[in-house]
Amino acid sequence: MSGNVNDQILIEVKNLSKSFDDNSVLENVNLQIKKGEVVAIIGPSGCGKSTFIRTLNQLEKVSGGNIYLDGEDITAKDANINDIRRRVGMVFQHFNLFPHLTIGQNLTLAPVKLGIMSKKEADDKACELLKRVGLLDKKDAYPDSLSGGQKQRIAIARSLAMNPEVMLFDEPTSALDPEMVGEVLSLMKELADDGMTMAVVTHEMRFAREVADRVLFFDEKGIKEEGTPEEIFENPKSDRLKEFLSKVL
Amino acid sequence: MKKKLFSAFAIIMMLATAGCSSDNNSKKVESIDDLPGATIGVQLGTTGDIYASDYEAPEYGSTVERFNKITDAVQALKQGKVDCVIADEQPAIASIETESGLAILDEPFALEDYAIVIAKDNDALLSDINVALAELQEDGTVDNIIANYIGDETKGQYPYVTPDGTTYENGTLVVATNAAFKPYEFYDGSEIVGIDIDIIRAIGDKLHMEIEIEDMEFDSIINAVSSHKADVGIAGMTMTEERAKSINFSSSYVTSKQVMIVKGNNASASNLSFVEKLKQNFVDNDRWIYILTGLKNTLIIALLAVILGVIIGFLVAVVRVSHDKTGILPVLNALCKVYLTIIRGTPAMIQLLIIYYVVFQSVNVSKILVAVIAFAINSGAYVAEIMRGGIMSVDGGQTEAGRSLGLSYKQTMIYIILPQAVKNVLPALANEFITLIKETSICGYIGLMDLTRGGDIIRSQTYEAFLPLIAVALIYLIIVEILTVLVGKWEKSLRKSER
Repeated sequence: MSGNVNDQILIEVKNLSKSFDDNSVLENVNLQIKKGEVVAIIGPSGCGKSTFIRTLNQLEKVSGGNIYLDGEDITAKDANINDIRRRVGMVFQHFNLFPHLTIGQNLTLAPVKLGIMSKKEADDKACELLKRVGLLDKKDAYPDSLSGGQKQRIAIARSLAMNPEVMLFDEPTSALDPEMVGEVLSLMKELADDGMTMAVVTHEMRFAREVADRVLFFDEKGIKEEGTPEEIFENPKSDRLKEFLSKVL
Repeated sequence: MKKKLFSAFAIIMMLATAGCSSDNNSKKVESIDDLPGATIGVQLGTTGDIYASDYEAPEYGSTVERFNKITDAVQALKQGKVDCVIADEQPAIASIETESGLAILDEPFALEDYAIVIAKDNDALLSDINVALAELQEDGTVDNIIANYIGDETKGQYPYVTPDGTTYENGTLVVATNAAFKPYEFYDGSEIVGIDIDIIRAIGDKLHMEIEIEDMEFDSIINAVSSHKADVGIAGMTMTEERAKSINFSSSYVTSKQVMIVKGNNASASNLSFVEKLKQNFVDNDRWIYILTGLKNTLIIALLAVILGVIIGFLVAVVRVSHDKTGILPVLNALCKVYLTIIRGTPAMIQLLIIYYVVFQSVNVSKILVAVIAFAINSGAYVAEIMRGGIMSVDGGQTEAGRSLGLSYKQTMIYIILPQAVKNVLPALANEFITLIKETSICGYIGLMDLTRGGDIIRSQTYEAFLPLIAVALIYLIIVEILTVLVGKWEKSLRKSER
């Protein structure tokens, strides 16, 4: 538990639905995430949890309902989508580092091109972040020379370079070799401890149990069950959750 | 690279030697009666071509080989690829001067009248020229000009001089010709001279108009005049009914004979040594200048066309991909598709001719500019499809990562997708550039002096196929090799991000 939760609601999802053509993936999802809160999203594959987290920065357009970021409707037609995405960091399963740029450039590209920071400011910020993730010596290396765990730490640093208000993680450790999962999770834990608001789609039940303030169990097109880690892992109510936990634990 | 060039040269030499000895199925032509069944060489679009075409009818069974230059036809005759060549008398005499073993049959094949061609709708110029021509025939100027080029005793005796005090207040007369037709029009150094040229100069002086000579393929002259690219054409052009349908003829200024060139009994290639030939082709009369000027133009055209082509290609590729992914820009996408279909579906040469003779019909623009535009538009279509493939080969997660950082679609495209796409397609792009450089060799069709054309002009003067062609081939090879090396270096520097 990060213990940093305050009462301000940062993200509010109301009656969200999403379908691809005729195939409905999410129906009537409602959720509030408070500032500083760490929400873990678990569930069987194909339950729509990745789609859901991708709607939170509008990488997926919603089919119905609204999403509010700090009170602003990001699903509105006239919403400034690029501005919203600057405030919402995203970390992908496959890292998606820019292979043609050095690690340093991966971190400074967006802040500089968007005019948020000068080249110098962005450089300083990049050094600070690289130090924080323990990879300052890789500043001039290219992504291809890094291990999976290192790549994901860089991807997290790249998102942090934009000073986001909330970070979304879409299965951040699923593509990693087992021995590299730890380094990424401990970095995420540090972030949580520092008060970052986070939504994490994950298969790492230990992480969900130890770090998350709240756990959402997604199944059958929406949130089937939610609660504190204790409630979800010690006292699962629905049969679906019990069945799921028996498989993954 | 030296080694590569050397081996390439060796292969070309072998091919050339092999090509010389294909002397089979030939038929001896000694008079007009021998023409049925023979292979006849002519220059494309000349009266010789028109006459010879009659022999293509089934009852005669002859084959007609049409060449762009009379010298090419004579070369073919020497190598036994044709049995005889039908050509105008004076060019025929000139073309066999340096060749032993070729002869002109005594009996003329046909008599014909040469005249100046003028566009159908330009009656004022036609009557002006006819009046001027009549005066020049009256005062003996025309006879003197002809005598200055033909006849052993009179040659060089009566050079045409512009009368003192001639002024050119009536503007410029653009004259289309085909300067490979000695002694009517041919290159002397870098200047085009000859009977026709002197006659049109004399007419220009009479009309107080400055003469501007445009050298082009013979079969392009009538097109150029009727599309007003040139005001008149003068190129030993015989008055025929067929031509008179699309063009007006002035009154005739000279009568010529069509003759037959055949192989004599002691046919053999000219016996100059290799070094003498080298000197004859490139050193005498500073002929290397043709190659140099041509090379300069080829490089300018290729370089500008590559740059413009890449810009066009990038834009089209981005429009196509953006439409496919997001459905935006439907009209622009449809236009791009039409562009790709037309350009990739038609030959570059036709596109070049259309742009010169149709699009820029009534505008007087530099031929180099026309060539640059034509080749840029052509290359752009291929670059576009190469780039589209490159963009699609970049992982979709790259776009998502860029967009999720708040970069716009355009910024993501420019800073993230395109650099990776270019790296992926560099070998294919280099291939397209190489093709483009070589494709510029068709510039001669609009009378633009590129590298190939430079070699052609030397061929038309020295009646030698081997050296000018090999020299031109080698230069193309060197250009392409240099480009290949440069692209290789670029590729290497782009690959530094890989393990």
